[in-house]
Amino acid sequence: MTTKTRYFVVGSLLTLGVGLGVGLVAYSTGFSTSAFTRQGGPDELQFVPANAALVAYADVHDIMLSDLRQKVRSALPMKPDGQGEFQNQTGINIETDIDHVLAAIVPTGEQVGQMPGAPMVLARGRFDQVKIEALMREHGAQVEEYKGVRLVVGGGQSGKGGSVSLAFLEPGLVAVGSPALIRGAVDLKTGGSSIATNDDMMGRIRDLDGNAWAAGRFDALTSRATLPNGVAQQLPSVTFFSATAHIDSGIRGSLRAETRDEESANGLRDVVRGFLALGRMQASGRPEIAGALQSLQLGGSGTMVSLSFDLPATAIDALSRIGARRVGPASAPVR
Amino acid sequence: MSTPATARRPSYVGSVLRIFDLSLGEMLWSRRSVFLALLVGGPVVLAVISRVVWALTPVDALRVNGASVSGPGIFGLMIWLLYVRFIVPILGVFYGTGLIADEVENRTLTYLFTRPIPRGAVLVGKYLAYLACTVLLILPSVVLVFFLMVPLNGGSIGAQFPSLVGDLGMLAAGLAAYGAVFGWVGARVRRPLVAGLVFVLGWEPAVLLFPGYLKHLTVAYYLQALVPHAMPEDSAISALLQAFSDVPGVAPSLLALAILTGAALWVAARTVESREYVLEQ
Repeated sequence: MTTKTRYFVVGSLLTLGVGLGVGLVAYSTGFSTSAFTRQGGPDELQFVPANAALVAYADVHDIMLSDLRQKVRSALPMKPDGQGEFQNQTGINIETDIDHVLAAIVPTGEQVGQMPGAPMVLARGRFDQVKIEALMREHGAQVEEYKGVRLVVGGGQSGKGGSVSLAFLEPGLVAVGSPALIRGAVDLKTGGSSIATNDDMMGRIRDLDGNAWAAGRFDALTSRATLPNGVAQQLPSVTFFSATAHIDSGIRGSLRAETRDEESANGLRDVVRGFLALGRMQASGRPEIAGALQSLQLGGSGTMVSLSFDLPATAIDALSRIGARRVGPASAPVR
Repeated sequence: MSTPATARRPSYVGSVLRIFDLSLGEMLWSRRSVFLALLVGGPVVLAVISRVVWALTPVDALRVNGASVSGPGIFGLMIWLLYVRFIVPILGVFYGTGLIADEVENRTLTYLFTRPIPRGAVLVGKYLAYLACTVLLILPSVVLVFFLMVPLNGGSIGAQFPSLVGDLGMLAAGLAAYGAVFGWVGARVRRPLVAGLVFVLGWEPAVLLFPGYLKHLTVAYYLQALVPHAMPEDSAISALLQAFSDVPGVAPSLLALAILTGAALWVAARTVESREYVLEQ
């Protein structure tokens, strides 16, 4: 072997070795390039219990300022007193006061309404604490102190799940949920086992992007979901799911499902592919729908199945025109 | 003075290693290597361009046909379209068919056959050199493309690492299988390059499109089952492929490729042992 050949072999093996080494370290430490831009999700995750089955996030401020929101607002003007009344009662202007919202569903062994667990919402923004407390007191709520935090425990029954509590965990951060969950969130202020310490969930949350996302264990959804038969048959094999969306002038995002094994992932891909093909076939004569369907891209590798979509502003305009045509005749006055 | 009548004849493995050593340098620094460099450098250049465009253009999403795709998605697409469907079969054809045919064409086969080594060892040694040459070029290229493409648009290197390992193993298995099959074709057929191109560009894509058993007579059928990425929906042909997809499991595919590689290599070595090559004057 000549020296030139030897150098080539060594160089090539070195490239391969370094690449695999870096990849292995990244894999074993859960390192993600997304970690450069986001410190593993919003800070409010530290208040969510470690066993939460579903975590969802929305950058309300970003979404409210988006072109799409403005477009929807002008197309579907809301009743002016609805939002204003909410503001009068709570002191919260949804459009300007809330920055972002983090919601979680925590399995508690009991079903709350349509949800397979107790919900908890953490909203960050600018809130009138006194006004909110006063409003809840008017409705029979009691204020109690818990570890230095004022806990407003609602007196009435909220659906089947019991009373709703509220607490300001930090200035500008309100938590709403069952009293047990809110007390748990107060406990987590000083540290403890939160969802931020749940590697399974955090590994997935770190990979999420966009101004709205959700991630969770699939068993949290299967009990109540109404899905087509073909998809429903694949559900027992789905372990985790996530969804991301970025809303600006259009909507783009992706849905991901993780299955127990590759065979299940291939089966699920086949089912989704079938539905996509059917949809594309039926939409072939309608370019506005066909364009939207064309943006659906099935992907993923190994046990991951992903479906990405991208609806630009033009596609949403086209879809809203279809919606308007459908609504039009029905809402027209009968002569 | 007498010559040593009983000069030690090297063992089969020793002969293979000598031919491997001789052939590796020849393969790496031949004119054909320019073609090889273009093939494996293409995806890297493409990845670098994508990375630069990503960095310079104020877009917040990678788009293919207007649809937003992630870095891992693009990487999977490149593995399918560039490596699995093009680079690996084409390299297998060009290098595999040339293992013996090139020596015949250059009329240098005599020099190898007159050495005190088994004829089959010539083919096996050259095959191993082909495998080392292509693996050492293609796998680093894939690793570079992986690190350039996967982090784009929120992709995670750590999360995608298992699929990279799968890709590397799959590509090495593909190179081994195609090389062995075309090594045999090169040893057996007079115009092996034409036969090889017809096989990878005609036979394999055609029979994969239709249901039936004929797809079992391809390398691609087993190789595609090992690809850890979803098959891209890039054309009507892909749609047909997916519609009639009958994907074998990973273990049966690995077994089939191993048997195919071993059998093709053994038959090729037997062919070289028994065939009389007539060198054109």
